Amino acid sequence: MNDEAIIRLEHVRKQLTMKNGGEEIVSVILPDISFDIKRGDFAAITGPSGSGKTSLLYLMGGLDKPTSGSVFLDDQEISALSEEELASMRNQKLGFVYQFHFLLPEFNALENVMMPMLARGRFSTSEARSRASELLSRLGLSEKLHNKPNQLSGGQQQRVAIARALANNPSVLLADEPTGNLDSRSAETIYKLFSELNRETGQTIVVVTHDEHFASETKRILNILDGQLNSDKRLE
Amino acid sequence: MIINRHLVTIAFRQLQNRRRQTFLTLLGISVGVMVLITAVSLMDGLLQSFIQKIVDIAPHVIVSGERVKSPVPDQLIVSGNGNHVVFVKKVNRERQDVIKNYPRMESLIKSDSLVQVVTPLVSMDVIGMFGTISQPVQLFGIVPFTENEIEKFSNSMVSGKFDALGRTPDGIMLGTTVAKDFTARVGDRMRIVSQSGVIYSVRVVGIFKTGINDIDDNSYVNLRLGQIIGGFSPDEASDLYIRVNDLPKDGLVASTIERETNYKAITWEQKAASVVALFKMISGIVYFLVFFVIMVAGFGVANVLITNVLEKSRDIAILKSLGFKRSEITLIYLTQGLIVAIIGAAIGCVLGFLLIEIMSSIPMASSSQSFVSSSHLMMGKNPMYFVWASLFAVVVSLVAAVGPSRNAAKVNPVEILRGER
Repeated sequence: MNDEAIIRLEHVRKQLTMKNGGEEIVSVILPDISFDIKRGDFAAITGPSGSGKTSLLYLMGGLDKPTSGSVFLDDQEISALSEEELASMRNQKLGFVYQFHFLLPEFNALENVMMPMLARGRFSTSEARSRASELLSRLGLSEKLHNKPNQLSGGQQQRVAIARALANNPSVLLADEPTGNLDSRSAETIYKLFSELNRETGQTIVVVTHDEHFASETKRILNILDGQLNSDKRLE
Repeated sequence: MIINRHLVTIAFRQLQNRRRQTFLTLLGISVGVMVLITAVSLMDGLLQSFIQKIVDIAPHVIVSGERVKSPVPDQLIVSGNGNHVVFVKKVNRERQDVIKNYPRMESLIKSDSLVQVVTPLVSMDVIGMFGTISQPVQLFGIVPFTENEIEKFSNSMVSGKFDALGRTPDGIMLGTTVAKDFTARVGDRMRIVSQSGVIYSVRVVGIFKTGINDIDDNSYVNLRLGQIIGGFSPDEASDLYIRVNDLPKDGLVASTIERETNYKAITWEQKAASVVALFKMISGIVYFLVFFVIMVAGFGVANVLITNVLEKSRDIAILKSLGFKRSEITLIYLTQGLIVAIIGAAIGCVLGFLLIEIMSSIPMASSSQSFVSSSHLMMGKNPMYFVWASLFAVVVSLVAAVGPSRNAAKVNPVEILRGER
């Protein structure tokens, strides 16, 4: 396996300051955490709710910035980028899957998957269309290209969301509880999909989950407790 | 920044999703634009038709007996106690309100190539009597042939023939208002009492209606009869009416006359200035009120966008996480404002056009209180009304859209995406 780190966190601290009637309350979510994700990794971040695992994912995805410390993606310090640069970076290098599908309700499956490809004008509409239908077919949705999100089942919606996350060939696929809202059969499909993706295309995947079964299907489990790295286990 | 087509698609689809609210906002803008177009057309139409009528049938320049300067002293003696004694040669009484030796003046003015027609007239206040009715009349003595070339009475005759006045030395032509007041008809004899108390018997030869109420209040006799009734000498006139060949040169003609003859000469623009100013003031008030109608439509736009932004904050968060930039998010919502404004303005233009057509076909009872009376509302018709009203609606909508659109761009994806838990 390639040992090159694709995501690197160095002494990352995240705290939130809330104002409560003139009084400032500082709550530390991540006191100081360092680890890296290798290219081709399939890692699960587990831990009880409130442990800071989702915050960690958003920091890795450039949706949030650390209070101190640095986050590197492909050796670029993304924690130092401007908001506009982060937007482009997210578009080109990252794919997100959330607990809820978060598809745009006004657009059909195909259009939703095309959206990130068209956002920065990297693809022409026809290129985006053929690529999106290819992705959706690969995820078993070739019959549902023109369905609106509300005409799809929960599992199908989540697969469209995964296709959308993969649209721009991201360096890393970040998933936040992708099966949290699905029945066990659909969840099973999603596990398989992630494993296949990782095995067949070498797609780097980081999944936040508290589903033990899902975590056990991955290659590496990072357990977070109170914002600290509690354990880092390689499976296989 | 790439302004790409699908930002517009996103904007459009979101609006389609809120069909009812979007429709109501469209309606607001449409009505605003329609009212604005109609109001502008109405006010402009009134002013234009008023000016057109004046230009068509009123003298372009009026020379009156009023002197520009008082006579200069021929001899000035300063006495020791600070009093001044001024001598002027003329010692007999001189009427300061008449043009002396008008035929000379007429030929002088006519020699200017810019002048088309000059006609002398005398004016006076008399008492008219018909049957048991007696009331004040504004009477003019005119030279019918040349007067007609300016005021076009022959086109405005309600009954009788204008030519008859020239053929009837004791004939009188009544304005429609006067005729109505006296209930007099063509062929009737009536009496005129001059200011010196002399009674003259005259015969009604025609009744006219120009539509300008100032003129329809007047009555006309032949110049000679007018001079006799008003106590003018045969070479005196109270005014000279002038029509010029080239309208914008009327000011030049007037100033030349003043300089050369020392008689006051005013142009129709000066005479109508107060009326035009009043029109403009009324228009200003109307536009001001209509402005609020469009403002309210603007609130409608702001409202639909605020709702959209609030309701779509999740989608905005997603778009941001997919790599859409703040400016692009702003653009989506500005585009929504623009779409609503353009469609609304287009509908408003159609409605405005129809309303103008309908209003200009409604018969209207003429009122003698207005400046100009007409059988229909005179609506202005100018494509610029539509351009300006639409542009105004678009600007107001865009201004209204700026706030919500900027708020949309401020959505923090982390808060929204986590908040779903």
